[in-house]
Amino acid sequence: MRLLTHNLLSSHVRGVGPRGFPLRLQATEVRINPVEFNPDFIARMIPKVEWAALLEAADTLHLIEVPKEPIQGYERNEEFLRKMHHVLLEVEVLEGTLQCPESGRLFPISRGIPNMLLSDEETET
Amino acid sequence: MSDVQEATNQLLDVNLCENQMSIQVTESGPRSESEHLQVTIGATVPTGFEQTAADEVREKLGSSCKISKDRGKIYFDISVDSLAQVHCLRSVDNLFVVVQEFKDYHFKETKEEVLKDFEDLAGKLPWSDPLKIWKINTSFKKKKTKRRKINPNSSKQKIDNGRGDTTVEKDVKEFTNSVSDSQILDSYENPAIKEEVSTLIGDDLTSCKDETEENSKEEADPEVLKFRVTCNRAGEKHCFSSNEAARDFGGAVQDYFKWKADMTNFDVEVLLNIHDNEIVVGIALTEESLHRRNITHFGPTTLRSTLAYGMLRLCAPQPTDIIVDPMCGTGAIPIEGATEWSNCYHIAGDNNPLAVNRAANNISSLLTKIQVKEGKLSLGLPIDTIQWDICNLPLRTGSVDIIVTDMPFGKRMGSKKRNWNLYPACLREMSRVCRPGTGRAVLLTQDKKCFAKALSGMGHLWRKVHTVWVNIGGLHAAVYLLKRTPQSFFHPSEQDGERCPW
Repeated sequence: MRLLTHNLLSSHVRGVGPRGFPLRLQATEVRINPVEFNPDFIARMIPKVEWAALLEAADTLHLIEVPKEPIQGYERNEEFLRKMHHVLLEVEVLEGTLQCPESGRLFPISRGIPNMLLSDEETET
Repeated sequence: MSDVQEATNQLLDVNLCENQMSIQVTESGPRSESEHLQVTIGATVPTGFEQTAADEVREKLGSSCKISKDRGKIYFDISVDSLAQVHCLRSVDNLFVVVQEFKDYHFKETKEEVLKDFEDLAGKLPWSDPLKIWKINTSFKKKKTKRRKINPNSSKQKIDNGRGDTTVEKDVKEFTNSVSDSQILDSYENPAIKEEVSTLIGDDLTSCKDETEENSKEEADPEVLKFRVTCNRAGEKHCFSSNEAARDFGGAVQDYFKWKADMTNFDVEVLLNIHDNEIVVGIALTEESLHRRNITHFGPTTLRSTLAYGMLRLCAPQPTDIIVDPMCGTGAIPIEGATEWSNCYHIAGDNNPLAVNRAANNISSLLTKIQVKEGKLSLGLPIDTIQWDICNLPLRTGSVDIIVTDMPFGKRMGSKKRNWNLYPACLREMSRVCRPGTGRAVLLTQDKKCFAKALSGMGHLWRKVHTVWVNIGGLHAAVYLLKRTPQSFFHPSEQDGERCPW
């Protein structure tokens, strides 16, 4: 699971709603997998990213420091774009957990795949 | 007679060396003539996606297409230099070079006369240029030398040529009714295919070894090519069967070229396509369908990659679009997406752990295959896999740009009764995660009635823009292109008008 994916995921435990985002990440095994750098892709993706969530996840994984917010003129700042490319696409969590911030429910990540299935009682009707 | 002589000479010169991209085809005939050879290529595509395929041809080859009335086929002209690129088309299943096209063939009254005409036809066709193309094409294919055994399944399997009411027949010269596995396979798991493609990677690695074997075999018998004739016939008014046509036409071809007939181990496959009054004679350029290219681990309902490509193309992905398949099965659609639209981000999800594992395995296999082919450390693909429930997607509201999926038909997966509850729940959840205004969905289903009903209550969220009628393993299905309306999704618990903040 990449951090870009984590940025899209949200808990859907019953009653939690928007407070289910972002999921708290905890990783026991991480892999760095190089991905072709496409500056245009990263530049356009940045406005779509929920920055605080990304910051928190990158922190948990002890990654290179992500700035508090996108720096001025980031579209043309290659160093910044490369950093973000690395954080968003090249770091894969293979084993770990995602935790719903509201209910505490844990979702396991195994072999890079998060299991977000809930039991019937837990899901909304 | 001189034509035959020339053709035979050309074939004797066949030099099947691996990297022969340049045109060193014949010793007779001027070199410059071959280089500027224009050729008409025919391609079979998933029925319903002819226009999409034509768009891809225009985009990648710059040629315009003629879409045949014979459904599932398109034709376009290219120069010989572009032949290699034709194999990179992702919306086509099979390719062939056109020998001759008869737009309005006059069939005589009796079967005997018609078949006699076919026999006479063999000697009158302009074979030499198409055969040159075939030869060049064979040199590209040298890597994939393992010849697959055709799987002799019973022909009760309905053929994917979606002709609706007209009768369809497909028969191969050689007195058996076996059907090539690329035809029957579509969405069925077939142990022969599984074995065949599970060595997709293995093939690339062992191709060097196989080449030497085949080369030495060919040296022993360089002159005699092996061939077969495949006849597709559709139309109400024909007084002959495809088997008869293939047999008699094939017999004449054999006499003309002195080739050897061989059903399974052929070098040349001659195609005789008859659709009402239109006849196209061609020579196949692909030996197995391209449609299973990305998938090594099959599930019970794996979608053809060409169909997956067509569906993705329909929704016109833009750079950085987030593209989700919430019922991905073996991952055919997101994997096709990640390879062809690598400037988008793809997510494959399913509730079934088997499916999710297969999807993940297919992604790994693909990465390995790319690595083997290009001989360098392969870079990751922009795709992730998640196990989830379509009715309760763990995704932020409005965060997805495109949803593309193959919905359970209720035949081999799920049931019609379940669909009555599943479809509305799916559409609702998909409308929540899909970005209002710009988002879109491309959904394939055979349960059109259930889908229409489910959609009817959601006009405020989804607008149906386009429908493509397709044929999936004999079932008449539809691909719906929906646009997400600009209206935000209101969570049912917030009925008092309070806006959902996220």
